[in-house]
Amino acid sequence: MNFKEALNSEKFVVTAEVGPPKGTDIKEMLHDAEALKGKLDAVNVTDNQSAVMRINSLSICKILLDMGHEPILQMTCRDRNRIGLQSDLLGASVLGIRNVLCMTGDHPNAGDHKETKAVYDIESVQLLRVVDSLNNGRDMMGNEMKGATDFFQGAVVTPEADPVEPQLMKFEKKVAAGANFFQTQAIYDIGKFKEFMTYARKFPVKILAGLVLLKSAGMANYMNKFVPGIKVPQDLIDELKAAGKGNALDAGINIAARHIKQLKEEDVCDGVHIMAIGAEDKVPLIMERAGLL
Amino acid sequence: MIITKKRDIKELMENIKNYKSIFLIGCSECATLCGTGGEPELQAMKETLETEGKKVTGSFVAKTGCQILGTKVELKAFKDALAETDCILVMSCGAGTQTAVELFRDTAVYPTNDSLFLGNMTRIQMFDQRCSLCGKCVLDKTGGICPVTACPKGLLNGPCGGTNEGKCEISPDMECAWVRIYNRLKRIGQLEEMKKIAEPKDWSAANTPMSLNAREKKEEVKK
Repeated sequence: MNFKEALNSEKFVVTAEVGPPKGTDIKEMLHDAEALKGKLDAVNVTDNQSAVMRINSLSICKILLDMGHEPILQMTCRDRNRIGLQSDLLGASVLGIRNVLCMTGDHPNAGDHKETKAVYDIESVQLLRVVDSLNNGRDMMGNEMKGATDFFQGAVVTPEADPVEPQLMKFEKKVAAGANFFQTQAIYDIGKFKEFMTYARKFPVKILAGLVLLKSAGMANYMNKFVPGIKVPQDLIDELKAAGKGNALDAGINIAARHIKQLKEEDVCDGVHIMAIGAEDKVPLIMERAGLL
Repeated sequence: MIITKKRDIKELMENIKNYKSIFLIGCSECATLCGTGGEPELQAMKETLETEGKKVTGSFVAKTGCQILGTKVELKAFKDALAETDCILVMSCGAGTQTAVELFRDTAVYPTNDSLFLGNMTRIQMFDQRCSLCGKCVLDKTGGICPVTACPKGLLNGPCGGTNEGKCEISPDMECAWVRIYNRLKRIGQLEEMKKIAEPKDWSAANTPMSLNAREKKEEVKK
């Protein structure tokens, strides 16, 4: 069952993330990917995440595909114009990559090449339309192509954006532009997420709740302060603190597992997207404690 | 107006190290309002240059420095001073500098300012960029607030996930352009505008160099 089929079945879908490294040594990444094999419905490969220059998403997607993974190609509009984006999408298609996650992309201001000229020729909503057009055998200018793509395209949403109304209007545009599935920004307040899901359920799209593994109380405080759209409630921070220094990561794994279990048992959403950010080797453990393995 | 900022004086001195007789041209429009090319700045530049051992053959504030023919006429009064000038410093914008380049084919011309952006003056000598001269206005669809300029990503279909308490992720001092647009459209009863998907922008409308012949009845932009 591929990712699309899994989402369209009753299965509680699980995806995780692999971040390509900076440099050509991919041993560690391959090791993490190996540990995830057979456990996930798909694996996202980030696209120069946080605007930090690394190996491109496309190459790593192909490597993971050859390993037996089902990759989701993350594509941002920050580094390529409309010609580059479409060209890479066609390339991904002939390499056998079937899933694409369309995003605008973090601003270079967040990354390690701050002096670059950001592209943003088009943006997430428009990129979704481009994928739809390529799927229908035409490029975005309407030129007929020899052979169409067959992508299953998705997008992202931040359920706890402040203010949330303009964010939801954009969510609806993404649905209209052809998004089949959404992977959300990290959510920690399940009650609040349920409210979002009550709204999102009105649309014919699948929603995977984003979960970022908490590794310490410090990390939670940092995200609350500096990462827009992420709000870790105080009781979770207290839980990490109470666990003590050596056990905070273990407490974070428990929190993630508990949330996944609740989301699944209460049928809140269609699955989860686990972002372990540097602790990819812990993903199987989270899944195990959540009762998914 | 065109917002300008003074260039580093050391860099400028390096530019003109081989020249002795300097003529200064300012501008009474934008550069005067920016405090980079009005009478006081020309006077200060004259003193600086003289301290550095240069001879200032003359100085004048053009009425509109980007107006080539008008500036040419105004400069006639400085014929003698210009005859003994081996270098011209233009204290306005890049357009003003290139007016001088066109008028003085055999004389070196240098800018004293960096040209930054098309700006609005919010208070005296405080400027904000509101328009990027993108060639195809979107203000009719965004409640009159330009996302091409005010959003660091130039987004056309709403905010990114970086909105934080209505601020931009790039800087907590900056309002999110799309939150502003949302609030404005709501106030004027046009929120429906924001629900429409904006097509990819035609960036060819901003390809350089551009020229416009507005003489004929039908406007024609040539690239």
